[in-house]
Amino acid sequence: MTQESHIIKFKNVTKRFGGLVALDSIDFEVEKGEFVFITGPSGAGKTTILKLILGEFAPNSGEVVVEGKDLRNIKPKDLPFYRQTIGTVFQDFKVLHERTVSENVEVALAVLGLSESEWPERIAHVLSLVGLSRQANLFPSQLSGGELQRVSLARALVVNPKILLADEPTGNLDWDTSGAIMELFEKINKEGKTVVMATHNQEILKKHKKRIIHLEGGKIK
Amino acid sequence: MFNIHLKTALGYIRRSPFQAMAATFVLTLTFFVATIVSVLVYSSSKLISYFETRPQVIAFLKDTAKDTEIADLQHRLEADERIKEVKYVSKEEALAIYKKATSDNPLLGELVSPSIFPASLEFSVMDLSFAQGVIDEVKGEPIVDSVGFTAALGGEASLEDVVTRLRNISTYLRIGGIIFVGMLAATSLVVLLIIISMRIATRREEVEILDLIGATQGFIRSPIIIEAFVYAGLGVFFGWIIAFILVLYLAPNAVLYFGEIPVLPKETLGLFELFGIILGIEVASGVALALGGSLLAVSRVKKLK
Repeated sequence: MTQESHIIKFKNVTKRFGGLVALDSIDFEVEKGEFVFITGPSGAGKTTILKLILGEFAPNSGEVVVEGKDLRNIKPKDLPFYRQTIGTVFQDFKVLHERTVSENVEVALAVLGLSESEWPERIAHVLSLVGLSRQANLFPSQLSGGELQRVSLARALVVNPKILLADEPTGNLDWDTSGAIMELFEKINKEGKTVVMATHNQEILKKHKKRIIHLEGGKIK
Repeated sequence: MFNIHLKTALGYIRRSPFQAMAATFVLTLTFFVATIVSVLVYSSSKLISYFETRPQVIAFLKDTAKDTEIADLQHRLEADERIKEVKYVSKEEALAIYKKATSDNPLLGELVSPSIFPASLEFSVMDLSFAQGVIDEVKGEPIVDSVGFTAALGGEASLEDVVTRLRNISTYLRIGGIIFVGMLAATSLVVLLIIISMRIATRREEVEILDLIGATQGFIRSPIIIEAFVYAGLGVFFGWIIAFILVLYLAPNAVLYFGEIPVLPKETLGLFELFGIILGIEVASGVALALGGSLLAVSRVKKLK
């Protein structure tokens, strides 16, 4: 395995919040195109790992390297451009409630600075991918939980990210809807995108045979 | 790209109509008063200019003055660079002026003859600062009996006093106007600041999402700044148009009242030009107000995350 095949690398990373150690000297790597579950009980440090990858904060020690770039070397003004290469999906969906499904996806393209002439095709494609073509003009208040998560997924995918981070994406969904969302993640992963998903849902872990990084008390077990 | 920011800004305005109305009303009032003050400043400067340049000095000639002496003095005055519009008024013409002035009481006109009115040389000075010197010189002429002024607002001893008084009124008008408009502008700025700050507070979740998907600070702030521009734009437009309509409505009466004094441009094109200039200045002020208000609000929220 060559160094270049790692898209994400954590090297002896420690993150503390005040006196609380969220991550304690952890090391792991994620290969390009891999699907990895980060699991563990609440407070184990799953979300902290995702936020470190996203550059929301820096580790107290150690290195977080994404696509060969040490995140410590990214200047604050360049951070938005780095984030534009990463798709994020959250348990609480984080959709813009005053915008329609289509407009929620549109925002990501606007952030990317893509020409407006390219928007309709890309939006139509991604909405079709997540099965929301018919709901394009509906507002979030008119959608179910599963549909909201699909909106979030569509917004993450429309910018064609290399890495997709998902923080408990099925946490607020029933089993059937969770299954459908997970099928989507599988499909996206098969298209070559790297997926890092934090979850404590054991059923999902059993059903989807992927590498698991298990955390407990901020350490990998 | 601008479309999405404009759409977002208009969305904010639509969702908070009362905040939008408050901002627009205050800005409208500010720019309405600013327009009116600008017109008053323009009119007062025209009034001063009129009194400064109209023929004001009258040199009354002695009855003994010969035509050749009068002609000589007139030529010398006309040749003087400090003096303009020299006009000879004969005894008969003076009587005619008197009769015209007392036409509402014909008896007064019948009781006088041309012989009691002195002939005179009327002229104005190029600049008011020359007035006293010229008057003193003319008083020294052997054929000049006395020198008088045609304008007075109330007990002023000289032309300079008249203009000084007008200048004082104009200065008070300008200072008062600037203070009043300044206070209104400050109020507008504070209202904009409050509304934009409230907008930032209510947008926290949206800002957090935009931040996560890699929006730059410029992208996040653009709708906020555009919203401030919309308020300022509406304020400028409504304030200016209301004042314009009011002035158009009052202009005929003002022109009639002030007669030949050009307190407002008499041609429609001139009036449009005046209001065009005022609009241009107000648009620039509106831009400054919108930028100042929104950027100040954004900077107060140290981190838009």
